[in-house]
Amino acid sequence: MGRPDLSVVSPCWLSENRETVTVVDVRDPRAYTDRGHVPGAVNVPAERFRDPSSVAAGKLPEPEAFAEELAAAGIDPDDTIVAYGDEGGPLAARLLLTAVTYGHRGDLFLLDGGIDAWRDSGSLSTEKPPLESATYDADRPPADDSPLVDREEVEAAVDSESVVVDTRTRAEHDQSHVPSAVQLDWEDLLDEDRRLKPRAELEDLLESRGITPDRRTVLYCNTARRLSHTYVVLNHLGYDDVAYYEGSLTDWLRADSPDWDPLELQAQVRAYADRGFDALVADLGEDVLGRLKLAGLYHQKQRGFFMLRTKVPGGELTAEQARVIGGVADEFARAPDDHGGESQNPIFGDGYLDLTTRQDVQMHWIRLEDIPEIWDRYEAVGLTTLQACGNSVRNVVSCPAAGIDANETIDVRPQVTDVTQRFLGDRVYGNLPRKLKVSITGCHENCARAQINDLGFTPAVKDGRDGFAVHVGGGLSDGPRMASDLELFVEPDQVSELVAATAEVFKNHGSYLDTAVNRLRYLVEEWGVERFREELERALSSEFEFESGSASDFEFEPAGESLTTDYRGDHVGVHEQDDGRFYVGLAVPVGRMAGSEFATFADHAETYGDGELRLTPNQNLLVPHVAESDLEAFRSESILERYSPDPGPFTRGVVTCTGSEFCSYGVIETKNRAIRWARQLDEWAADRGLDEDHDAIRLHMSGCSASCAQPQIADIGLRGEVYRDDSRTTEAVDVGLGGDLGAGEFVDWVAGKVPLETIPAAVERLVLAYDASRRPDESVTDWTDRIPDHELRGILSGATGPEEVATGRETETETELEVR
Amino acid sequence: MSEQPSRVPTERATDTTSSENETDGPRTSGVGGDPRELADVTPDPGGKTWFRDLDEAVIESDRCIQCGTCVAACPSDSIGIDETTGRPTLVRMCTGCSRCWDFCPRSGLRYERVLEFGEEPEVEASATDDSRAGTVGAQETTYAARARDTATNDAGQDGGAVTTLLAELLEAGEIDGAIVAGEREDEPLRGKAVLATSREELLATAGSVYSQTMQLGRIHDLLEASDIDKRDPQLALVGTPCVIEGAAALERYDWDGETDPIALTVALMCTRSFEHERLRSSIADCGVDPAAVEKLDVSDGVLYASDDDGETLLEEAIDTFDTAALRGCAECADFVGGAADISAGSVGSDESFTTMVVRTDRGERAWEIASSGLETAVLEETDALDKIADWNRRRARETLPREFDPEGSVGITYEDHRAAYDGTDRDLEPLNPARVHQYEEWC
Repeated sequence: MGRPDLSVVSPCWLSENRETVTVVDVRDPRAYTDRGHVPGAVNVPAERFRDPSSVAAGKLPEPEAFAEELAAAGIDPDDTIVAYGDEGGPLAARLLLTAVTYGHRGDLFLLDGGIDAWRDSGSLSTEKPPLESATYDADRPPADDSPLVDREEVEAAVDSESVVVDTRTRAEHDQSHVPSAVQLDWEDLLDEDRRLKPRAELEDLLESRGITPDRRTVLYCNTARRLSHTYVVLNHLGYDDVAYYEGSLTDWLRADSPDWDPLELQAQVRAYADRGFDALVADLGEDVLGRLKLAGLYHQKQRGFFMLRTKVPGGELTAEQARVIGGVADEFARAPDDHGGESQNPIFGDGYLDLTTRQDVQMHWIRLEDIPEIWDRYEAVGLTTLQACGNSVRNVVSCPAAGIDANETIDVRPQVTDVTQRFLGDRVYGNLPRKLKVSITGCHENCARAQINDLGFTPAVKDGRDGFAVHVGGGLSDGPRMASDLELFVEPDQVSELVAATAEVFKNHGSYLDTAVNRLRYLVEEWGVERFREELERALSSEFEFESGSASDFEFEPAGESLTTDYRGDHVGVHEQDDGRFYVGLAVPVGRMAGSEFATFADHAETYGDGELRLTPNQNLLVPHVAESDLEAFRSESILERYSPDPGPFTRGVVTCTGSEFCSYGVIETKNRAIRWARQLDEWAADRGLDEDHDAIRLHMSGCSASCAQPQIADIGLRGEVYRDDSRTTEAVDVGLGGDLGAGEFVDWVAGKVPLETIPAAVERLVLAYDASRRPDESVTDWTDRIPDHELRGILSGATGPEEVATGRETETETELEVR
Repeated sequence: MSEQPSRVPTERATDTTSSENETDGPRTSGVGGDPRELADVTPDPGGKTWFRDLDEAVIESDRCIQCGTCVAACPSDSIGIDETTGRPTLVRMCTGCSRCWDFCPRSGLRYERVLEFGEEPEVEASATDDSRAGTVGAQETTYAARARDTATNDAGQDGGAVTTLLAELLEAGEIDGAIVAGEREDEPLRGKAVLATSREELLATAGSVYSQTMQLGRIHDLLEASDIDKRDPQLALVGTPCVIEGAAALERYDWDGETDPIALTVALMCTRSFEHERLRSSIADCGVDPAAVEKLDVSDGVLYASDDDGETLLEEAIDTFDTAALRGCAECADFVGGAADISAGSVGSDESFTTMVVRTDRGERAWEIASSGLETAVLEETDALDKIADWNRRRARETLPREFDPEGSVGITYEDHRAAYDGTDRDLEPLNPARVHQYEEWC
């Protein structure tokens, strides 16, 4: 491709040629208007053409967005541009590099010394030139014609005659760099006045680093700002084979650094256990605490202590494993005396553990020095904490009744194990842009909540073969999204490969930089289902090629018939299994119990069942394989008074996250408050006889907006907030109503910042109003959809009585039983 | 303005300023194209704000006054300071608690109401905070003061009274340290927050710095790095009126003890502060090397710059530096610093004296203790002070897109802010993804 001339011009040259070129000022609009600019210059602020928000395309803006900006500034693709900024001009260079990448035809010049150099010799103007809007067509050139290269090309360059150049500072380079990269601080090309050094001096400098015009040069930095300047200067000096890598060092590092290797991190914990927390942080830096998540350790709010998360794939535990977990909690999850010791928690005492919505087990107050011992005990019984947290494939969630449910299509336990094993300790996929949550279910009731996972498998049948439909890009938190159906059919033995292919696509295209927007769902949203499916096929093809040695295009089978018919909220109660025995689902209110109690359940599982326990995505516990003849005896065990198969509706439906007790993000305290509420509300419901009509009232309370308690899928979803008025401030919640995965609906956030002390009474009013005004068989979701929000708010605040609730309006939404 | 705390807040909002439809319904979304806002996202309820909203309404729109209140208000320490710009930035996940918005004097905090807090009853007792007890009914007295000690007198601005006040309190054991502003070694004319623990350290930083330091957001870090006993530290906080407004609001509505170390607030009277980078350029534009400037002083509408030897380098009408001023300052009517225990400034006293306004019990007690080191006289005549305060209030009323209302509710909702600011020259600017997305820590 004939690229335009790209070089550096002096202020002197510009004053002579000002009439024939388009001068572009890339500083912010305020500097441009208030502090003055080169007369006649148009303003295209750098923030407008740099796009750190884009998930897939890295730092370049979309071509259309770039074209729009330039057109608005009256720039034509054939114009000769002279760009300038301040601070030596990297952002002006960035504009020129973007223009080159998108096929600008006119010549491109960087003003040497930028605005400061111009000010020394020329006048400034504060008048905006009249803008004639132009048309600008920008396009992504074909890959082999573009100066922009991807990671694979950089990897290839590392092993070739090409020279890879790190344009960051010496210190940054010393800390870490792409293998073989030479360091050339972009500022070394400038003199004290931030003007370009003389040509001879520059050539000597470049040669000393091995950067010569006859070698292909690949530049990188961190945010594609500094390399732009070097790119322009090299072109100016006549280097015509220069490419740049946008992904920056960040993603390179993440993917290959031992710092992010789960096994390496585990080894570090063991190495520092004797020396203690302070030595670990002193030697490895404070940021090691973030990385330790990959080993299953989450630094808790109280400095020096960890939350330890134990992975339980599919929620399936042997009694032996459960006994170890319970014993570890009882022995090690103990608060020091200055944090309350044995009475650290007024309700739960000390030595307790939490069951989570991903079928994990969490415990707090774990000290670094105890971790090797805990891991040793875990390894002896086949448990692990590896990759339980962090940017990895998280614990695989499945139906807790897998293999025993009388109506399931596929027993998914082999797939759960496959996927778990595929990623365990894997350094490459242990280090994704963000976490990747996978759910697999073989039952018809979507127990594993496919729609709120990054990747969800639900049963399907095709030509008489059992397999799965696949959903991608679901999640909650601050960008809730129901997963999209990929409209394909996979066989059970393809599941693990498909997860690996998804991780591959995520790793290659997801951003390692924009951490708040890089869950897989943003990629799905940006690409759409079709493109995502194609990318998966491409990833699977190359894997196939790698394994078989021959190229072959992998293609998915079109979707089969979905077998998901319903959505099941929980597994509480006594249920018959396919073999005629029973599983007993026990409500563990807010998911918390003493470690010793957990061990007691291990004993009971051996006495009454087959020595097996299951954890559910509702923070509950399930004891399978109980013979009918043993049910009575099991039910009369005293521990079942507290963890009941027949609880009140609120105890049964309550789910909470850790909250401000241990979590540094938690805005409000959750567990103690919610269990008090649940008990109090159950009494209220029993007094009024409401417990007959309501099996479960699903109240989910998250301490902040991160959705760890999944408030979006509850009847009543709460997330922590802070209330303030003229006279006081207090803990509060946003109140969301009517979430139902079966109907494909998240809650509507009906009221914000509601003071917490008003919630129990508001919940009572809601239940009464629902009972008073619901139509026959009307679900909570349909009811909250039908009742106008201002009335719902009235019910919450007490301004509207239950009998005043509207009953006449037609429902606007149809109930969908199918998984979307 | 009656409040009914037991009711839900969406009701509260309608009690005060908004029409029902505005705040009762779901919240308006922000102005930037936030990629987190997926196709059919559930809207947030009224009243909810994220750092992203503060970013658009205050920081990106160049209205930030760099007081540091948002950093101090954030319960999860998610807001840090961008050391290049000296402005707030997200450093880890935002939990959506709204506190940064609620306490920002340029968005959710009606700062003019904060100035009335001294006249109001205390908020409901909170467990940890008794620091502002007894402010009710305290009289305001204005003094002219200067240091008895001539060395301090020369080093400080207008008589070294603030330096002396703090030094006396330190030496009397009333405070363990004072958070003041010094100048950064690496960047001329750029302020930095300093925790001074001795008279010598105070003297070293004496003299005004005309750029902001985000000191309210640095209290914890400064304490951590100091030798002060961390169990019950007592600090004086010195800052511009906006810093003290933020501190006063945080103290009144104690959340997690974040302002417990503050034992005294001292406001430095102020009509505007400067953006350090732009101030340097403006001074350079006047032909003066910013690095040679040792001291800046603003008096009677003129900015004076002098060097090491006290030689005047520059004498220029303050208007010349308009473009270097923080844009957010024009919305401020609080020249004197009415939320502070003590305010100090040059206006209204003879040269070599500082005008000091003492209010609140805390302020009076501090004044008494420090009196041995100060030469003071009650100022009966405060016309000059009133005049400039009036001018400042007029400017604020002209600039403020919203209503200036000292009797309005303490809080300003996002919707009310939007209703007043949208379409003005102080409109929101789309979010900067780098400020709200590129943090390393998430849960």
